[in-house]
Amino acid sequence: MAKVQVNNVVVLDNPSPFYNPFQFEITFECIEDLSEDLEWKIIYVGSAESEEYDQVLDSVLVGPVPAGRHMFVFQADAPNPGLIPDADAVGVTVVLITCTYRGQEFIRVGYYVNNEYTETELRENPPVKPDFSKLQRNILASNPRVTRFHINWEDNSEKLEDAESSNQNLQSLLSTDALPSASKGWSTSENSLNVMLESHMDCM
Amino acid sequence: MKLLKPTWVNHNGKPIFSVDIHPDGTKFATGGQGQDSGKVVIWNMAPVLKEEDEKNENIPKMLCQMDNHLACVNCVRWSNNGVYLASGGDDKLIMVWKRAAYIGPSTVFGSSSKLANVEQWRCVSILRNHSGDVMDVAWSPHDAWLASCSVDNTVVIWNAVKFPEILATLKGHSGLVKGLTWDPVGKYIASQADDRSLKVWRTMDWQLETSITKPFDECGGTTHVLRLSWSPDGHYLVSAHAMNNSGPTAQIIERDGWKTNMDFVGHRKAVTVVKFNPKIFKKKQKNGSSTKSSCPYCCCAVGSKDRSLSVWLTCLKRPLVVIHELFDKSIMDISWTLNGLGILVCSMDGSVAFLDFSQDELGDPLSEEEKSNIHQSTYGKSLAIMTEAQLSTTIIENPEMLKYQQRQQQQQMEQKNSAIRDVTGAATAAPKVASMVNGESLEDIRKNLLKKQVETRTADGRRRITPLCIAQLDTGDFSTAFFNSIPISGSLAGSMMSSQSSQQLVSLESNATNSLNTSKPSIEPTAASIKPTDDAANKDGVNATSASAAPPASSSVLTTPSKIEPMKAFDSRFTERSKATSGTAVVTNANQTAIDRLKDQNLIKENKPKDILESSSDSEEKIPIAKPLSIPKRKLELEGETVEKKKKGRPRKDSRLVPVTLTVQSPAALASEKDAICISAPALALKLPTPIPQKSFTLQVSSDPSMYIEVENEMTTVGGSKLSRLKCNREGKEWETVLTSRILTAAGSCDIVSVACEKRTLSVFSACGRRLLPPIMLHSPISTLHCTGPYIMALTTAATLSVWDVHKQLAVVKDESLQILLSGSDATVSQILLTQHGIPVMSMSDGKAYCFNPSLSTWNLVSDKQDLLAQCADFRNSLPSQEAMLCSGPLAVIQGRTSNSGRQAARLFSMPHLVQQETTLAYLENQIAAALTLQSSHEYRHWLLIYARYLVNEGFEYRLRELCKDLLGPVHYSAGSQWESTVVGLRKRELLKELLPVIGQNLRFQRLFTEYQEQLDILRDK
Repeated sequence: MAKVQVNNVVVLDNPSPFYNPFQFEITFECIEDLSEDLEWKIIYVGSAESEEYDQVLDSVLVGPVPAGRHMFVFQADAPNPGLIPDADAVGVTVVLITCTYRGQEFIRVGYYVNNEYTETELRENPPVKPDFSKLQRNILASNPRVTRFHINWEDNSEKLEDAESSNQNLQSLLSTDALPSASKGWSTSENSLNVMLESHMDCM
Repeated sequence: MKLLKPTWVNHNGKPIFSVDIHPDGTKFATGGQGQDSGKVVIWNMAPVLKEEDEKNENIPKMLCQMDNHLACVNCVRWSNNGVYLASGGDDKLIMVWKRAAYIGPSTVFGSSSKLANVEQWRCVSILRNHSGDVMDVAWSPHDAWLASCSVDNTVVIWNAVKFPEILATLKGHSGLVKGLTWDPVGKYIASQADDRSLKVWRTMDWQLETSITKPFDECGGTTHVLRLSWSPDGHYLVSAHAMNNSGPTAQIIERDGWKTNMDFVGHRKAVTVVKFNPKIFKKKQKNGSSTKSSCPYCCCAVGSKDRSLSVWLTCLKRPLVVIHELFDKSIMDISWTLNGLGILVCSMDGSVAFLDFSQDELGDPLSEEEKSNIHQSTYGKSLAIMTEAQLSTTIIENPEMLKYQQRQQQQQMEQKNSAIRDVTGAATAAPKVASMVNGESLEDIRKNLLKKQVETRTADGRRRITPLCIAQLDTGDFSTAFFNSIPISGSLAGSMMSSQSSQQLVSLESNATNSLNTSKPSIEPTAASIKPTDDAANKDGVNATSASAAPPASSSVLTTPSKIEPMKAFDSRFTERSKATSGTAVVTNANQTAIDRLKDQNLIKENKPKDILESSSDSEEKIPIAKPLSIPKRKLELEGETVEKKKKGRPRKDSRLVPVTLTVQSPAALASEKDAICISAPALALKLPTPIPQKSFTLQVSSDPSMYIEVENEMTTVGGSKLSRLKCNREGKEWETVLTSRILTAAGSCDIVSVACEKRTLSVFSACGRRLLPPIMLHSPISTLHCTGPYIMALTTAATLSVWDVHKQLAVVKDESLQILLSGSDATVSQILLTQHGIPVMSMSDGKAYCFNPSLSTWNLVSDKQDLLAQCADFRNSLPSQEAMLCSGPLAVIQGRTSNSGRQAARLFSMPHLVQQETTLAYLENQIAAALTLQSSHEYRHWLLIYARYLVNEGFEYRLRELCKDLLGPVHYSAGSQWESTVVGLRKRELLKELLPVIGQNLRFQRLFTEYQEQLDILRDK
C-alpha cells in the first residue's frame, strides 16, 4: 500500500493576478519513515492541445519525512507567458501537482485554472496579444482531481508492473475518458468542462 | 425472523467477500473488490438495526473506507477486544487496522463521493509472509494470535502482541487453504483446504493433531472460500464443502475422537461458509410447564454456493430456517452479532442481508459465566478474562460500582484527550479538536508556514523543504505492547541496563541516599584493565562507558578471570569488586580510577595473557607470598602445606578448586589434617581474601553531593610509628583524620564513613569526620566493607557477616556465617549488597541471591536466575503500562531486571493454560515475598499490584479475597488482634485503596469491590 497519503491541498492566494506565484499548502501523511525525499512538482499546462506547452514551474524535494502527518507550502513562480500560445492565454487550463518517490509518480493532483480579464471591457474585447498583467488566475480549488498510482515503495526491488510511468500524457486530464487507471476523482464523465466550470465559477 | 437487505451496504456493485460485525455490535466491516484495488469498508450498524436511523440523514452509514489493499480483500475480522481489524487479500498482505484517535472526520482527498470518513482507521501493521492470496484470517480467542491462510498452502500464526513476529507456519496442506477457525478454548486451530482435507493443529506445539479427509473425498470443483467454524461449546467443528453420497453437506466433526458421523444436508451446491452463533442456548422455559432442564445447544448458519442460507439448531434434526434465493450469487461470509440474535450475510453479488431472530425462535442464551462454566467443566479451563464486549452485558449491581465505572470511563476519555494534547502534541484538520503544535494553533502555523518552513538547497542546487510535522502516528498501544514483550537479551539488555543505571543514578542523586548499586555487580576486571580510563576528571564519561562495557552476565564474568589470572592480581580484583558493590553506581567508576592507579603502581600483571594460569600449581604457590602481612605467619605456612598436601593427596579437580572459587579458599588443614574430613566438609573454615594494603587510594562515595574519600597510608612517621591519613571531601568541604594503623579498605555513605585497618579494627566517622565509635574489634581481618545510610556491613575473612546500625547503635546482623550459602556448591559470591534497610544480600555466581532476614535470623533465597517459574510466568497483561520497566529497587538489582515477562513468550503459549496460571501465581507470590523480606516497599507495592491485577484478570476470587482481607484487617479494633496496619512502611489500607480500582475493572468482582469499598468508607468515617 502507499506509504504516503495526501490528506489535503489548500490553494493559497486564490484568485490572484496572473504573475503571482502559485502557492499550495500540502498536507500529507506517511505511515513509516521514508528513506528518501519526496519530489513535488508543479506543472502548468500551457495549452490543452499539446504537451509541448507544459511548463514545470518548479520542483522541490521534501524531506526528511518521518512517519506522521506533515504539511508544507509549495510556492512556485507564475508560468512564463512567452511559452503560452496566445490562443490559450485566456480560458480554462490545468495546473498539476505531482509527487514522486524514487522517481516513481504515485499521486497527481489536478486543478482547473481559469484565466480571465477582470475588466469588463477587456473581457468583452480581448486584445489579440494577451495582456497577462491584466489577467486574473482562478484555480478551481473546490474540485481537485486526484489520481493515484501504485508504485514500489520498498528499497529493494523492481518496479511494480502496474506502476504508471511518470510521463503520463498530461492532456488526458482534460479529456475525462482517457484517464489513467487509478482515477478516483475525475468522474464528471461527459460533463462539458465549460459547463461545469461555469457552474462552479458562479458559486465562487 | 425478520429479513432485511440494506441496499446502501455495497461496494458499488463489486463483490463483497467478507463481512464481520464488531464485538460491540455498533459497526461492521465488509471486504471485497474496490474500484481498482481491494476495499475495506466499516459501516454503522445502527441504520441496519433501526429503520428510523436508516432514514435519519444525520446518522452516518459508512464510517470509514480503506482502499489500501492493492487487490481484492478476501477476509475482514475484528479482534475479540474490538480494537483491531485484520484484513487479508489477494495482494498477499494482511493489514491490521486500528482506530486513530486524534483525527476527526475527514474526506479522502479528492474523492468524488465527498463522503466523510467519520472514523479514521489506520493501518498499524502490514504482515507480509504469504506468497499467495490470503484467503482467511482469524483471531485466537484471547487475541494473542492471529492466524492467516493462503493459496500458498500454508497457515501462518502471527504473534498479535508483537506484529509482525511469526510464531509458526503450519505446513501440511497440499492445496489452497481457504478457511480457518480457532477452538473456542484455544487448544486447536482448524483449517480447510482445496486438497480435500481438513486439518486440526495443536496450539501447544503447532503440530498436526489430525487430518480429516474422508468426507471430502468426493469433493470436486472449487469454491472460492471454505470457511469452517467451531461451536462455542467446543464440541463440534463444522466444515465447509463436504460430500455425502454425492450430495453437498457441511460435515460435523466431533472433538471427541474427531468422529465424522453427522452432517448438515440439504444445500444443492457446495457449502462455502459455516458460522456458529457465539452464544450457547437453552430451551425457553414455558411458563407453568416445568420442562426437564434441557441440554444447552448451539446454533449454526450455513451458506452455500446455491445462494441459500440455512440456520440450524443442534437440538433439532431439521434446519430452523432455510432462505432460498437470498442473493444472485454465492454466499461468501456470515457474521453473527454478539448477542446471537442477528446475522449479516454477504454475497459475491455485492449485497448484504441482515437476519434478525427473536429469542423465542432461538432460545435463551446462556450468560458468559455459564458458558465459561461449560468450558471449565469440559476442558478444565475457561476464558475467564472478560472481554469488554462481554462486560457490557453484565449488569452493574450497585450505584457505587456504576459511579466507579463511569468515573473510569471519564478518566479514560480525559487521558485520551490529554494524550492527544501531550503525546502527539498534534494538530488536526478537524476544527473541533483543539489543534495545537508547540502551543501554537494550527491556524497560526498555517499563516506563517511559508515563512517558517525550512528550505535549503541541496548540493546540486535544488530546493529542499523540510515539512512541518503536525502529528505523529498514534500507534502507542502497539508499541507498548511491543515493549512489554521484548525478549531482553544480549546487547539490548546491556544497553537497557546502562540506561537504567543512569536513570537510577539520577534518582540517587536527588535522594542523596546511598541506595543499592545498579545491576552491575562489578566492572569486569579485564575490561577495566584493557580500557584505559581517564582520571577522575571525567567520571561521568567513564561511568557511562563502564556501564555499557559491563556485560549483563555477571556471574560468568566473575568466574572466568579467577581461572585465568594469577592470584596476586586476583586479590586486587577482589578489592575492586568489594568496592564496586559498596555503593552507588558512581562508586564503580571511582573504583576504576583507583584500580587504574593500582595498576600503575604495581599490578600491571593484570594484563597477563590467559595461559599464565594453565599450570595451576604455580599460582597456588604464589598465594601465601601474595598474602598480606596481616595474616599470621603460622597460617601462611599451614596454607602452603595444605596446598602441597592437596596436590599430592587429592584428585586434580580438588586442587583446582582453590583458584577457581573466587572468594572462598578452603585451607581445610586449619580444621583438620585429615583429608577425609577435608573432603566431607570443605567449607568448614571458609577463608575470604582480604584487601592488600595500598600506599593510597581514592573512593568516590557519591557524585551528588559529590563525596569522595582519600586514603594515604604511612604518610608521616611520628616517633617511630607510622600514621595513615583518611581524607574526605564532601562538596568541596574537606575533613581529614589520622589513624595509627594502615587502612585496608574504606567505605562511605552520605551519613557515615568507615574504614577498616590492618589491626582488625573498624573505625566509624560521621559525615563530617567526627569519630562516632571507638574502634570496633573484628574477630578476623576484614574482607569487604560496605556502607549504606547509617548501616555498615563488614564481611571478614572468616566468612562471617555483620551489619550495624550506627545511628541506633544496634547490631542488625551479628557474625552470621556464610557457610550455609557457600558449602556444598561451587558457587561463589559474586556480589554483596546492603539495602537501605540494612538487609545484606549475597548474589552467587550460580545466579541465586540470598538475603539475610534479621528478624528470623535466616538466609532467604530471593532470586534465582535459573528459576523455571520466572521464565514461564506470563503476567504481561497485568503489567501497568508505564511503570512496567521503571520499578527499581534492591529486588530489581538482584534479579538484574531482565524482565522475564515475555522472555519465553513463544514457549509459554504452548504451556497448558492451567500450568501457566499456576507458575505465574507462584512466581508473583515469590516476588512479593522477596520484596517483603528485602523491605523494599516500592517493589512490594509494584509486585502486589501486578499480582492483584493478575488475580483479577484470571478470575481468582479466592486469593483475591484473602489478599483484601489481610490488607483491610479488622474493621473493629480488638485487643487480641495481631494485625499490623502497615507493611514495609506502607499503610495496608492505602494499598487496598489502590487495589480496589483494579478489582473494579472486572465486573465479575463487583461484589468484592463493593464489600471492601464500603468497609473502607466506614473506616474512613470513623
